[in-house]
Amino acid sequence: MINLTIDGKEIEAQEGTTVLEAAEAAGVFVPTLCHHPQLTPYGGCRLCMVEVEGARTLQPSCTLPATNGMVVKTNTQKVLDARKFVLTLIFSERNHFCMYCQVSGGDCELQNRAYDEGMTHWDLQPNWQPFEVDASHPFMVLDNNRCILCRRCVRACGELVGNYTLGFEERGADSLLVADYNVPFGESSCISCGTCVQICPTGAIIDRQSAYQGKETEVDHHIGVCVECSVGCQRNVLTRDNRLIRIEGEWDAVLNHGLLCDKGRFLPLEDDRARLLTPLVRKDGSLKAATWDDAMKAIAEGLGNGEGIAAIASTRLPIEDLALFKSVFADALQAGLVTTLEEGKATASLAKMAEKLGKPFESNLDVLKDTDAVLSLELDLVDEHQVAGFFVKRQLTDGTKLIVADSKGNKLAENASLKLDLKAGDENAFLDKLHKAVQYETGDEAFDKAAKFLKTAEKPVIVYGEDFAAHADEKALETLLEISESLGAALVGVKGNANSMAASQLGLEAPIKVNGHKSAFVMLGDEEPSQKLIKQLEEVPFVVALAAYGSQLTGNADVVLPVTMWAEQSGTYMNMDGRLQKAVQALEVPDGVLTSRDTLLKISEALSIEPDADWKTKVTSRTPTVEIKEA
Amino acid sequence: MAYFRSHVLVSVDPVCVEKGAYELIETLQDELVKQGLVEEVQVLETSRIGDPETEGLDLMVYPEAVHYTKLTLDDVPFLVEEQFLKGRIAEQYIRETKRVVDEELSAPKTKEVRIVLKNIGEIDPLNIEDYIARDGYMALGKVLTEMTPEETIQEVLDSGLRGRGGAGFPTGLKWRFISNAEGEQKYMICNADEGDPGAFANRRVLEGDPHSVIEGMIIGAYAAGASQGYIYCRAEYPIAVRTMKTAIEQARNFGLLGDDILGSGFSFDLEVRMGAGAFVCGEETALMASIEGQRGEPRPRPPFPAQKGLWQQPSNINNVETYSNIPQIILKGAEWFASLGYKKSTGTKTFSMAGDVKNTGLIEVPFGITLREIIYDVGGGIKEDKKFKAVQTGGPMGGCLPESHLDLHMDYEALAEAGSILGSGGLVVMDEDTCMVDIARFFMDFTQDESCGKCTPCRIGTRRILEILTRICEGKGKPDDIDTLRYLCEQINENSLCGLGKGAPNPVKSTLEHFLDEYEAHIYEKRCPAKVCKSLIRFEIIDGLCTGCTLCARNCPVDAISGERRQTHVIDPDICIKCGICEQLCPYDAIEIK
Repeated sequence: MINLTIDGKEIEAQEGTTVLEAAEAAGVFVPTLCHHPQLTPYGGCRLCMVEVEGARTLQPSCTLPATNGMVVKTNTQKVLDARKFVLTLIFSERNHFCMYCQVSGGDCELQNRAYDEGMTHWDLQPNWQPFEVDASHPFMVLDNNRCILCRRCVRACGELVGNYTLGFEERGADSLLVADYNVPFGESSCISCGTCVQICPTGAIIDRQSAYQGKETEVDHHIGVCVECSVGCQRNVLTRDNRLIRIEGEWDAVLNHGLLCDKGRFLPLEDDRARLLTPLVRKDGSLKAATWDDAMKAIAEGLGNGEGIAAIASTRLPIEDLALFKSVFADALQAGLVTTLEEGKATASLAKMAEKLGKPFESNLDVLKDTDAVLSLELDLVDEHQVAGFFVKRQLTDGTKLIVADSKGNKLAENASLKLDLKAGDENAFLDKLHKAVQYETGDEAFDKAAKFLKTAEKPVIVYGEDFAAHADEKALETLLEISESLGAALVGVKGNANSMAASQLGLEAPIKVNGHKSAFVMLGDEEPSQKLIKQLEEVPFVVALAAYGSQLTGNADVVLPVTMWAEQSGTYMNMDGRLQKAVQALEVPDGVLTSRDTLLKISEALSIEPDADWKTKVTSRTPTVEIKEA
Repeated sequence: MAYFRSHVLVSVDPVCVEKGAYELIETLQDELVKQGLVEEVQVLETSRIGDPETEGLDLMVYPEAVHYTKLTLDDVPFLVEEQFLKGRIAEQYIRETKRVVDEELSAPKTKEVRIVLKNIGEIDPLNIEDYIARDGYMALGKVLTEMTPEETIQEVLDSGLRGRGGAGFPTGLKWRFISNAEGEQKYMICNADEGDPGAFANRRVLEGDPHSVIEGMIIGAYAAGASQGYIYCRAEYPIAVRTMKTAIEQARNFGLLGDDILGSGFSFDLEVRMGAGAFVCGEETALMASIEGQRGEPRPRPPFPAQKGLWQQPSNINNVETYSNIPQIILKGAEWFASLGYKKSTGTKTFSMAGDVKNTGLIEVPFGITLREIIYDVGGGIKEDKKFKAVQTGGPMGGCLPESHLDLHMDYEALAEAGSILGSGGLVVMDEDTCMVDIARFFMDFTQDESCGKCTPCRIGTRRILEILTRICEGKGKPDDIDTLRYLCEQINENSLCGLGKGAPNPVKSTLEHFLDEYEAHIYEKRCPAKVCKSLIRFEIIDGLCTGCTLCARNCPVDAISGERRQTHVIDPDICIKCGICEQLCPYDAIEIK
């Protein structure tokens, strides 16, 4: 620990902290613009200048390491003059006339900092040149006129996401934020994760969807877990007047620390599927709008009980819903098939192995954030579970080796140091070969090289996906465990949907085989059913569908119950590394619609059964593949 | 060493290369082979020998010192036959051209002391044996066999040698820092990104005496414990790059670079990296970013390069001139070096003298010499014996010093105190016809263009200053401009990230201090006292001197001049674009600038 004085306050700080961090910890506010807690200190904007005793000139607090005995002043006239000077210059550089800007009035850090300093105008004559606005991107608009060249977006794109799309061309006052080698933003290598739009302190990058729809202070915030995949990112859903405005990553989240992907940030706001708002019951061959009571009656008549029922639920639904679903169908109705839309493909073999071992064998996702060699088995972290992919991609420039084993087109492989061919179904042979290469030089150049990367690494990680889990048998997993043990490598299993792991813990992982079933109960929630499932259910005489959106499946069903979509419900989710996190309701439930959970309760009532609503003990009673923890 | 009776020098100056210098060399070689002279005549590459404006190729033959000009490739066979086979001068190729002597380096003038430049022009830079013959690599031998790294550092420290890149930090101390730093790999870097306009001292050393730099770097690496070095040279110096690469290759072949140098167990190797033309890459942290392949932008210090430099490893950066001083300090001793110079600045300094001085070019003088001595004794005084007005030292971030500072003893401290810098040794002398506002604008135009854009004060501040200065020069200055300029200068200097930003206001600050009256004349009287700023001057024809020869009227590009033959002509000020052609042409000096 070191001791320093900031504005007369004696402060104790950790060695290695910057003066800015020490000041913040002590409750001393130092204004910043180019600084962001998630980024490496940059020292560009010079707004955070402070006076340090013994230093010839003012020092940038964001990059200056705090040292023992340092005496810092953050509020002298010299410091205040410097702040005003820096703000004056920035205002004079480009078009920073606030009234036309979408972030003006609270959301703009530049404007806020100017108000903090009591600025009402600036004295320097501006001489800016107008720049063309780039609106070619489907989700974002890039406006260099509002840019203050702090490079937070550029640094975030590289340091946090590992995508390196944004950059600067030219230099000095001519510096211009561009995508790739100055191609239209929409035609660039951008993957639409939106980190840049979230980190931009001004209106230089804005979100098309939410622009001009409400300032930060006029919207409601709903912070909870993202339900688009099993990574389990924390996000903030912004609404205004019961309308979705924007989704942002939570900077303070320990797992994703602000990052989201397009699926978590932009795409949920673009959903244009037809919403179901009233129950439908098939009468004389065609679906007709009905009351909830009519629908309940139809279910009581048509569902039956025992072996004849096939019950299938979406793993996008909260654990509470899945546990209740299991209680209703497996325990009370003794249905012949109780499973999920994912059929446990990504989890079943792994869960069995955990049970056999009697203990979890997979690691926390965080190991991906600090590794020097990653072996990825049948997994594309560029397309799916993208944020986990960001953790890996952003380390590649620091020398982290990435070995991609896949035989399909795999976008992650574009960044790989080494590619290995792994054909689906060939897992055993592949792992045996790798196992040998780890033990001795096999003469197979690629495998020997892969083994060398992993053996010389200090923190190797083997990460595998749904396809691998679906194909790997017990022997393959045993070999994998032996490999990981001899390498000291952490294993990370990427599960599928937001509650894949919870479904596995509930034992909902039977394959869907519809064979002579008399009725089917499909709890879709807001998930889009696959063509395969639609076809399978065509043979079933009586189908009940709980769905937020109309689909071919609801069209074929005999009873359709309108349920809530992700933003209208809350509940618990278990992500791929066993974290229990809450999803938070952001929108009111529309009239005539119920949550899946309430619908299940209503059906139970109609069928006169008493399901067990407990989920906590159920979800932890099975040995998990990775330790379960309350987040 | 092979013996040649004749040497042919061909300029590979970029202009000459454009004209086909390499084709000429090839043709010459072919012809020499054909005529069986290849063992007797050596073709050498050199920097400029003739007037680059002259059409055609030229070459120089020694020992006769004959300069053949306006050659085509077809002339080569005959020329070779006449000159080298028959042994007579081919008179028809000696043609009247403007003889341009290499102004950069002439024989030492009075008061010059040559340490860094001692080998330049004396040895063949592409031949390591030439360097060795002049005690080259003796210092390295001494260090590796007789001295410990600590003794080496102490010797350099005792010599008082300070960084010649401009900041003047004691070299020995820098070496001690990196020597004490912990890291897997340490780097020795040579800053050869000489970007100051008008500065060419480093280029001459790199091109003329590359091994002195290499030797200095190896000694430094030994002292620091570095095993890899980089010479970061600007791409605009192709000959320097090529020379250095050849020299490194030769040193490697001689066992002076690579593993186990001179059997000492010490290993060090060197690589040349080229800069892509950004001035700011001469700043050490930006330079390292550039070597790493990043955008050339400076990084905050601390951490200092000695702790976390290139690729986060301990690194040491010195300038070309600093390194080339090292071998002689080791050989002749710290005491000898410390005996030269003045106060805390020991040794000599090279200056690239330019501007309105009679002898422009490269000089090397001991510290402590006065500006007056440099300009009048070494430089031979002001051109056309005009009046001295100012001298700007240290490149575009230097200050302009007036006559009252002429007796200033040149050293790091004195220049800093006077509001200028030593920089890399640029020296621009300005006579009475120079407008100081225009000069300030000129330098600001350079620095704002070269600002990397990372930090706000330098990126925007320099541009605002340039706009104000341009306005003043155009006669649109406002009364509060002087205060605004002072405010900007002070704040940019205080808040900028690197030396470029901190130094950028110097030309403005110093001219505001020493030549305020000129600013005031521009702003309040809309008058340019030096009659340079076009918007503030007027061309007039003096009645009585004008003979009505019509020369001016015929040559005026905008037909602003009218008048009958043998009558006094008149310039229409509303049409005149102030190009100055009439004034240059008038045989009777009848055109006056007002």
